[in-house]
Amino acid sequence: MKKQVLIALAAVFAVLASLAFVQAQASSDAADDTDPSPVQVPEREQPFDFPHEPHVAVNQIDCQYCHFSVERSRSAGVPPLATCMGCHAYVDGEAQAGDIATLRQFWEDREAIPWSRVYKVADHVYFPHMRHIAGGVECADCHGQVGEEINVIQRVEQPLTMGWCLNCHLEMDASRDCTVCHY
Amino acid sequence: MSDGIKRRDFLKVLGVTGAGAGLVGCSTDHVEKLIPYVVPPEDITPGVATWYSSVCGECSAGCGVWVKTREGRAIKVEGNPNHPVSGGALCSRGHASLQGLYNPDRVTGPMRRTSNGFESIGWDEAEGMLLQGIQGAGSSTALISGKEGPTLSALMDEVVDLVGGTRIEYEALSEAPLREAARLAFGRDVIPTFRLDDAEFILSFGADFLETWLSPVEYTRGFARASGVDEAHDKARFVFLSPRLSLTGQNADEWVPLEPGSEAVVALAMANVLVRDGASAGPYGDLLQAYTPESAAQEAGIPAETIEELAQAFGASASLAVGPGVAGQGANATATNLAVLILNAVAGNVGSTLQIGVEDRGAASASYRGLSEAISGMAGGQIQAAIVHGTNPAYSLPPAAGFREALGQLDFSVAITSQIDETAALCDLVLPARHSLETWGDANPRPGLWSVRQPAMAPVPHFDSRPAGDLLLALARGLGGEPDGETFHDYLRNRWSERHADAGSPGGTFDQFWREALRSGVVNLDEAVVEAPSLQAPDRALSFDRPQLEGEGLTLVVYPSTRLGDGRGANKPWLQELPDPVTKLAWHSWIEIHPETAQEMGLRRGDIVRVSSPHGEVEVPVYPYPGIRADTVAISMGAGHENYGRYADGKGVNPMRLLPANVEEPSGALTHLNVRVEVEATGRRRRMATIEGSDQQYDRPIAPAVQIDQLRAGALEHEAGYPLQELQGGGGFIPVPVPGDGAPEDYPLEGARYGDYDPAENPRWAMAIDLDKCTGCSACVTACQVENNVASVGEDQVMMGRDLHWIRMDRYYEQIDASAPGPVDVRFVPMLCQHCGNAPCEPVCPVYAAYHTPDGLNGQVYNRCVGTRYCANNCPYKVRVFNWHRFSEVPEPLNWQYNPDVTVRTEGVMEKCSFCVQRIREGENKATLENRELGSDEVIPACQQSCPAEAIVFGNIRDPESRVAQVSNNDRTYRVLDVLINTQPAVNYLRKVTFHPVDSIHV
Repeated sequence: MKKQVLIALAAVFAVLASLAFVQAQASSDAADDTDPSPVQVPEREQPFDFPHEPHVAVNQIDCQYCHFSVERSRSAGVPPLATCMGCHAYVDGEAQAGDIATLRQFWEDREAIPWSRVYKVADHVYFPHMRHIAGGVECADCHGQVGEEINVIQRVEQPLTMGWCLNCHLEMDASRDCTVCHY
Repeated sequence: MSDGIKRRDFLKVLGVTGAGAGLVGCSTDHVEKLIPYVVPPEDITPGVATWYSSVCGECSAGCGVWVKTREGRAIKVEGNPNHPVSGGALCSRGHASLQGLYNPDRVTGPMRRTSNGFESIGWDEAEGMLLQGIQGAGSSTALISGKEGPTLSALMDEVVDLVGGTRIEYEALSEAPLREAARLAFGRDVIPTFRLDDAEFILSFGADFLETWLSPVEYTRGFARASGVDEAHDKARFVFLSPRLSLTGQNADEWVPLEPGSEAVVALAMANVLVRDGASAGPYGDLLQAYTPESAAQEAGIPAETIEELAQAFGASASLAVGPGVAGQGANATATNLAVLILNAVAGNVGSTLQIGVEDRGAASASYRGLSEAISGMAGGQIQAAIVHGTNPAYSLPPAAGFREALGQLDFSVAITSQIDETAALCDLVLPARHSLETWGDANPRPGLWSVRQPAMAPVPHFDSRPAGDLLLALARGLGGEPDGETFHDYLRNRWSERHADAGSPGGTFDQFWREALRSGVVNLDEAVVEAPSLQAPDRALSFDRPQLEGEGLTLVVYPSTRLGDGRGANKPWLQELPDPVTKLAWHSWIEIHPETAQEMGLRRGDIVRVSSPHGEVEVPVYPYPGIRADTVAISMGAGHENYGRYADGKGVNPMRLLPANVEEPSGALTHLNVRVEVEATGRRRRMATIEGSDQQYDRPIAPAVQIDQLRAGALEHEAGYPLQELQGGGGFIPVPVPGDGAPEDYPLEGARYGDYDPAENPRWAMAIDLDKCTGCSACVTACQVENNVASVGEDQVMMGRDLHWIRMDRYYEQIDASAPGPVDVRFVPMLCQHCGNAPCEPVCPVYAAYHTPDGLNGQVYNRCVGTRYCANNCPYKVRVFNWHRFSEVPEPLNWQYNPDVTVRTEGVMEKCSFCVQRIREGENKATLENRELGSDEVIPACQQSCPAEAIVFGNIRDPESRVAQVSNNDRTYRVLDVLINTQPAVNYLRKVTFHPVDSIHV
C-alpha cells in the first residue's frame, strides 16, 4: 500500500514537472534519435550569408582548405578571415557581391566575423574531430551535404544526441566507454 | 521487501522526473558565438596546447618552467625538464603563479593618490608624473626593488645612475648571512651549492630546504634521491637540529630539539670532535678548542653524547651540513652559517657535497641593511623620492623599522606593481606592471646558468598594464639617458647579444643562439670550473654564542610559510586553501605550542591567545604541536595582510609585528630570532579550518613502515608474491549471449569474465607512490587543482569539511618511544582515488555515474551524477568530494585559468581524482594519429609531473616492462586497506623506510 502511494506521489510530481516543460518536450521530439531527419534549429542571426554551395559544390574546395585543423585537433577550425581573403581579395563572386563587400570591410577593419554557432555538442562532451577523421568518418556523415546549403548552415543534419553517437559507435565497433567523451 | 519501494521502481520514477528536469537544459536558445582569428598566429592550432619556456618569478630560486597555453591563454605552469634547477618539477607557489596573472585584484590602470583615495589617470599623465617626480628629486631618489633578474637589475642601476640616486634591493627571505659566511670562510662571495643527492648523512641546522630555503624544488629532488632507499637498500640518514620541527624536519630520521640560537656552538663542537679525531680545521683549530661537546651540550640543552655520536657519523661518511634557515636567523646568523661551513670543511665535504663556485659579484644579497639605511635617509630628508618594485617592505618589515612612516614623508613615491599591496597603498602613484608570465626577463640562478623569461601570453586585457622594464626605459630616456633599446625586449636582447659575444659566440649566430635559448629555456655560459677552496681565517671577529633575547616568556620562532612564502602568495586562493603540510590548517594563522606547555597554561586547540612581545601583540588560535620545544612557540610568516586583496586581507596575523627591526652584523640581514613572548588566553575560541580527521593511524595499516635492517634481512620478501601485474578489476564484463530465458542456474554464463574486461585488449592504469621519497610538500595537491579545475571553497566551507581537493596529503604521527622528543616518525600518504578494481563506490551509485572503465579507471560521469553521495559514504579512502560550489562565483578573470579539457563541475555533483583521464585520452588521440600504440609510460598525470621528489610513477601496470610495474615490483609495496576489504586499489604505495624499529611492518 505504502509503495503504491509513494509511486503515485512521485508520478504526480513527474507529470507536473513534464507539463511545465511541454514546449521543451515538443522541440526535443524532433531530436529523438530514432528519427534521423534533419533538425531545424532556430534561425541564427549571422553577420552575413555564407553559402557553402559555391565553395563546396561548384568550386570543389576541399573541406580542410578552410577547416584546417580537423585532422590534428579536436576542433575542426573555423577559417580565419585571412583564409577568406586569400581568394576574396580577387574573387568578387556574382550573386553575393554585397556579402563579399561586407567580408572585405571586416578585413579592412581587422575585425573578426562574429559567427553564431549552429553545430554544438553539450559542454560535458569532449568530441575529438581528428579521431573521427582518422577513423574514416566523412564530414558529410554528421554535417550533411553542406554543398546544398544556402546559408552558413541553418540545419543540423543529425540529432547530436548521445543515442545517435552510440548507434554509430556500435556500428563501427568504437569505444562505448563513458570516459571516452565525458570527463 | 513486500511493502517497501524496490530499487527498480525508484529508478523508474527518478528517470521520469529526471527527464523532465533535463529538458530545461536542452531547451535553451542561448546562441554561442564562433569567433575565428583575423590572421591566425602561426604557432596556434585551435584545440591544441602551445608551450612556452620561461622562468618562474615566485621566488629567487629561478626554476625553469614551461607554460601551457590554449588559444592564447596560459592555463598551467610546469617545470622545464631540461632545467637543472626545476628538473621538470615545480612547487605549489610556482603552480599558483597563474593566480597572480589572473588575479581579480590586479591594478586595472595607473592611479594617483588624492585626498579621497586613489584616482584613475591616463598613462601619459602617469608617466609624466613619474618623470617629473624623479627629476625633481634628482640624486635624492631611491629605487627599492626585490631581487630582480640580471638585465632588469642592470637597467635599474642605469636609471639610478642617471640621477645619481640610490639602488636598494630587499628580500624578506634573504640569504645574506650564508653568503657572508662563505666569503669569510673561503674568500669567495658566492652562495654555495649543496649537493644533497651525493650525501649519505645530512645534518640540517634548521634550514627548511624542502620548503623555502634557497631552492626548494632542486633540494627536494636531491634530498629524495639521497634519502629514498635504493635497490641496494642504501639510504641517507638525515638529522634535523632545530627548536621547531618544520616540514623539512618532519622528513628527518632524528630530531635534536636544541635551544634556539645554539646551532653555532653545536656545529663547532662537532667540528671539534672531528679535529680531535685527526681532521684539520686550518686557521680555526684554536677556535674549536673552546667548543667541547660538553660545553655545547649545556648551551644547547641536549646530551653531549648526541653531539659526539652525530659528529663521528658525520666524519665517517659522505656527509653534508646545511643551515640555518631564515627562522633561525638570530644576532649570530653569520656566525652560525660560518660554523656550519667550518663543520663541512673539517669533514672534507668542500668540493664534494658542498660546492663553492666562482665568485658571483653581480648578484646582490638583498639584505635589510641597505633598506634600513634608506629608511633613515627617508626620515632624515636625504631621500625625497622612491620607486618601489617587486618587494613589499610595508608588510614584510617589522613596524619598528619605520618604513611606513618614512615612505609617507617622501615628496614623491611610486609603486610599479601588478597588484596593490601594503607598500603600493602608501605611494603617491601606482603604475600597473605586467605579471612575470606576461613579460620579458631573464634569470641567473647560479654562476654559469642562464634562462630567458619570455611572455607566455598577451597581457590580460582586464588590466591596462605595462612592463616595468619599458617604464624604466621611458624614464631613463626622459632623464636624458640613452638606454640601449626601445623596449625592454630590445634591451634584453642587446644585453644577451653582448653576453653571447663575450662567451665566444656559442651556438652560431646570435639569432640562432637566441632562438635556441627561448626554445630550451636553459643556457650554460661561462661555466668556469674552479678549485675547491680551503678554509681562510675570518677577516673579522664574530660571536658564535647564543644571542640574548628580549622580553620574558616563550621564545618566538617566526618562519617562512611553505604556502605563502614571505607573504606574496597570500592573495591566491589555491595557496590559501592548500593545507599547511605540517599543521593541515588552511586560510588562517595559528601559534604552535608544545602540548605539555599548552596543558600547563590551560590552553586547548582553537583557543585564541594574545601573544605579546616588547614590540607588539597579535591574537591567534592555538595549535598544540609536539614538534616544538616546550619553551618555544612558532608563528608562520605570510598571513595577516591589510591591503593585498580579497583573499588575503584579514586572514591570519603577521608575526613580524612582534619583532624589532634588528640588523645582523656583518651580513646586514634582518634577524627573526629576537624575542620572547607572553602568551595569555583571551577566553575566546575559534573553529580551526582543517582538512584533517586524525593524525593517528589507530592500528589501521594506512601507512606502514619498515626498519631498514628488517628490509635488508628480507623481512618483507614473503609479501613480494603480491601479484601486482595481475591486478584484477579492469572492470565491467565481457557481454556474452544469455542462453534461454536466463534462469539463475545458468549463471555464471559460459565465457563471461565478471569484474574484468579483456586484459589482452585493455591497459590497466595504475600508480606507484614511494613513501620513502614523498616529503609531504603538497606540490601535487596544487598541480592537481590547476589541471583539473578543482575549485577553492574558502575558509568557512573548509571548516564545514567541504574542501574539494582531489589529493589529500594525509600525515600520521608515530611515536618511536616515549623518550624520543616529538613526532620524529612522520608518515605522509598522498591519498587520492585508488581506482579500485573492486570499488565500493560503484555498486551503490543508483545512476551508474560511478562505474569502471575498460582501462581500469574508476570513472565518474558528472552529467549522470545526481549527487546522492552514496559513493562518498561507501568509499573507505574518503577521496570523493561533493561539490557545493557555483563556478559563477569565480570572479573574472580568475576563470581564465580553467583547463578547457576538463569539465568545470558545479554544485551538486560528486567529483574525485580521474587519474588525469583527459591526459590519457589526449595520449590515445595522439598515438592514433601517429598510427601506433599508446606507450605504457607515456601518460604523465599532473601530480607525477609536478612531484619534486620523483615519488610518483603512473602507467599501464599490465605491461611488466612499464615503469609503474617495475617500481611496484618491490618488497615494500602495499595497497591501503586491500588486505582487509579486498578493494584491489590501483595505487601501490611503497613503505617508508626508517632507521628505528617500527611497530608493525605488515598491512
